[in-house]
Amino acid sequence: MKEDSSKNGRRKFLKNLGVTVGAAGVVSSFSLLGAAKAAAKEPAEMVNLLTQDGQLVQVDKNQLRPTVTAPLNELQKRGREGIPGKSFVMVIDLSKCRNARKCMAACQNHHQLRPDQHHINVLQMQDAEYTAPYFMPKPCQHCDNPPCTKVCPVDATFKRQDGIVLIDNERCIGCRFCIAACPYSARIFQWTEPKDAEKYKDLTYNIEANVPQKKGTVSKCLFSADRLRVNKLPSCVSSCPNGVYYFGDRNEDAVTNGTTHETVRFSKLIEENAGYTLMPELGTKPRVYYLPPKNRAFKFNGDLLNEENLH
Amino acid sequence: MKNIYQLLTCLILILSLSNFTVQAEDWGVPSSAKKKHNPYDANVKNISSGKKIFNINCKTCHGDPGKGNMIHLVPISPTDIGSQDFLVQTDGEIYYKINKGNGAMPTFEKTLNDEHKWMVITYLRSFDKSNRRSEKLAEVKNPEVTDVKLDLEIQDSSKYILAHLTGMTKKGKRVGLHGIEMSFLVKRNFGYLDISREDAYTDDNGKVETVFPYDLPGDREGHVDLLVKLTDDAFYGNLEKSQIVSLGVPTIPVNPLDERAMWGTRANAPIWIMVSYIGGVFVIWGVIFFVLFQMIKIPRLAQNKE
Ligand code: SF4
Ligand code: SF4
Repeated sequence: MKEDSSKNGRRKFLKNLGVTVGAAGVVSSFSLLGAAKAAAKEPAEMVNLLTQDGQLVQVDKNQLRPTVTAPLNELQKRGREGIPGKSFVMVIDLSKCRNARKCMAACQNHHQLRPDQHHINVLQMQDAEYTAPYFMPKPCQHCDNPPCTKVCPVDATFKRQDGIVLIDNERCIGCRFCIAACPYSARIFQWTEPKDAEKYKDLTYNIEANVPQKKGTVSKCLFSADRLRVNKLPSCVSSCPNGVYYFGDRNEDAVTNGTTHETVRFSKLIEENAGYTLMPELGTKPRVYYLPPKNRAFKFNGDLLNEENLH
Repeated sequence: MKNIYQLLTCLILILSLSNFTVQAEDWGVPSSAKKKHNPYDANVKNISSGKKIFNINCKTCHGDPGKGNMIHLVPISPTDIGSQDFLVQTDGEIYYKINKGNGAMPTFEKTLNDEHKWMVITYLRSFDKSNRRSEKLAEVKNPEVTDVKLDLEIQDSSKYILAHLTGMTKKGKRVGLHGIEMSFLVKRNFGYLDISREDAYTDDNGKVETVFPYDLPGDREGHVDLLVKLTDDAFYGNLEKSQIVSLGVPTIPVNPLDERAMWGTRANAPIWIMVSYIGGVFVIWGVIFFVLFQMIKIPRLAQNKE
């Protein structure tokens, strides 16, 4: 007797659950259209569903299909393809960096990161014992021969035709192989619920900004691919107060400074200032170029977290 | 007791504020540097090239001179360098400050050459109300004209771009306007690339030309968006003309995804890697199945023997 009632209870619960999930499904992810189209082969369990105009209808449970939320797919499709004909590059002029960290703040704001998570990070460098120290902003290098994409077992991280390396956090399984493979330590892992997870939970996933961020997936610099689509410079580039960043299209041989908005020839800028890439010996072919910290605009003042720099 | 606390807070506040002012004023310009004079004339050309340099190097922080639209920084915002408070300084003082920098103000000792620095100072002086030198401004004498027109002539073979600035006089005659600076700009993804030659001022016939860089990429057909405009809108307003010209080097963009590569996703992986991987899988499973079959055979062999 006792057993019986518990069975009933379970069935009741399941039934209720089915109805609730189903009802919610109409609004979010189940298509009535699919149900209407398909002919029922054998009468199966019917569920009550609430339509968008508030009517209660009965639908064969077997005929319910999840709808594809179109915007998501469209975003991911175009995000995977990239912008045709472009080849984006960044030039970072180390002689102008004074560790103002405005780039980091703008980036964290754009990509919903906490202050301790970095897509771009300003590092204090000193190459050898007797060499001069300097500040170096370091984003993902968007390598043309990226080790990170080689190791991903599920095709979650990939390179697109305009040269940008992205991550699809709907595919990422959080194995962190790519973090281990990246020689530039450009990637971070979302160990905990991301910042403002509750606030952004209903937002459609935008692969080109990697927002909303997702717990248990990897994130990294994306060259603000969503902004590039509307011909805007990346967040970090436009927020630098000291003219450190140039960004542009290598196919056009032009880069634009985010602070002064001056556009210059990419090849000339690199040639005249002896531009270089990080760890060229690895053959990763980075797309981020550095101009050496010569003729500096500011005196190097030692401490990375020197308050005086942070305004 | 409370009074003492208030007094202390006040004192600390005053001290810290005065500390900031000390920081702001503490340029320590040596008196020898103050005496330096601007060796360049305050003529229209110098002022306008000073303005160009100012707009690129100084404007982002200081804003437009005299407009007070500088960025706001803590603890001290940059000065409005078109204000009289700033311009009471000697040329030498300003020159020294540009050179040395202080706090958030970068040094321009190496990034700008001497000429450029003096041009900027010349430009700033044009805002100085107590300065005689700025009165030399009305230097370009063109007849009063209406219906100002800008025409372009492009020579594809020699990559010459000729701009012709004309206006209608009161007598109904179309004349060239001379001494006006022109900017030749090429549209790029995030801004305009300046390809004007040095001192691109119109000649007596109102003409000025520039050569399109021989190695600047265009699109597949070599088309680029050209924009020619008056550098300074103080004379005839914001006059500009844009045109698509085929002076660029035809560039066919390379799509890195066209090639199979190690870093490609599954569909784009090199054939040899797919073959060897799939082959490897077959070989390993083959061996396993082979062993299994042999093991199944053992009891059968035993039965047969019996
Ligand atoms: S820097 Fe690291 S994460 Fe970025 S493309 Fe290169 S290997 Fe990948
Ligand atoms: S952590 Fe995600 S993106 Fe990185 S290799 Fe694993 S599945 Fe791919």
